[in-house]
Amino acid sequence: MSHVNPPNPPAEPIPPNVQVGSGTEIFGDKIFRRFFSEREPAIVFGENCYFDGVQLALGKRAIVRVGNFVYAANMIILAEHEIQIGNHVFLGFNVAIADTDFHPLDPALRVQDAIAVSPVSGGRPRPVIATAPVIIEDDVWIGPNSAILKGVRIGAGAFIEPGSVVTKDVPPRARVLGNPAQVIGQV
Amino acid sequence: MGLRPDRRIEGDWYDGPVPDGVSAHPETHLDSAFIFANVEGKVEFRRGSHVYSGSMFDVSPTGHVIVGECAMLNGVYIVCDSRIVIGAYATISWNVVFMDTYRMPFAPEARHKLLEQRFHERAPQPKGADVPSHPVVLGDNVWIGFDVCILPGVTIGEGSVIGARSVVADDVPPYTIAAGNPARPIRAVQRPAAGERT
Repeated sequence: MSHVNPPNPPAEPIPPNVQVGSGTEIFGDKIFRRFFSEREPAIVFGENCYFDGVQLALGKRAIVRVGNFVYAANMIILAEHEIQIGNHVFLGFNVAIADTDFHPLDPALRVQDAIAVSPVSGGRPRPVIATAPVIIEDDVWIGPNSAILKGVRIGAGAFIEPGSVVTKDVPPRARVLGNPAQVIGQV
Repeated sequence: MGLRPDRRIEGDWYDGPVPDGVSAHPETHLDSAFIFANVEGKVEFRRGSHVYSGSMFDVSPTGHVIVGECAMLNGVYIVCDSRIVIGAYATISWNVVFMDTYRMPFAPEARHKLLEQRFHERAPQPKGADVPSHPVVLGDNVWIGFDVCILPGVTIGEGSVIGARSVVADDVPPYTIAAGNPARPIRAVQRPAAGERT
């Protein structure tokens, strides 16, 4: 055998508002553990994708669209709003994609938020938290340990070096590196 | 535990042998054969070296990894197509990535083809790209912080320290503290006096 698979636990049942295209394989026991989206549909997977050990942490109003031939292993998608992944995208291990700030930037609002998510919340709602869609276009390569943050659009064919923290749009076919990620060349 | 003659590790949870390409001095510690499940090339553990769970060696048939004397690998991800050398007395923290190749071409058109090929071959990874690899070499007594990525072609000189979460894209001279993403030299560390064992 040329390659040995790590032992894969069986995938959890797929929620009814998740659409999976033909030829797409999904592995892992953590994939829907933090899936709370009530959207119809909440996730649309294209065809012939491979998702192994991916966590899909979706808030109530989140939607995620995944194209065809997307390869992802041991990474996390944190969506409160919208994340689009194009066709032929490679996502390395330990990658995180988030379309939200998770908590308010304003310190006073953050106190409110801390109380609202605490055991003494008493049903208080959380304050408004900034979100913005993340769009990853076709043929993008995202190296291991990278983070793609809210509101970012990564242009077609771009190459994100391992460990990059992408906070701004990346032009098509750009090669980026660093925290914050900067363009270092073209591919 | 050390490697038994039947190529199993005492008390291992993983039901598989350590591949023949992995050699280990009797005085080494390998946590599990699972760490080497993706090894098709050579991996050499010198005396006193130790590797712990959370590590994954992905070594292709042309790859050769050398782990020097008393080097500690506390959770590394190694992608090797040519040569990765970790010097003696190295201290490597968790989630550290060493890669001597990207395993993927830079040109988006070629990456596109490889992902389709992976599907048709039902392979667990897109592989077989004809891409160059550039050896990674760590000198002796190097200390790497957690979550660091070491990119293809990097040489880190003897006695240097890399700060946590750095991405090392360029060579680091000996006896230097470097950090950042991309990593930059911050200052020099004291070289040992002549004759003093490092």
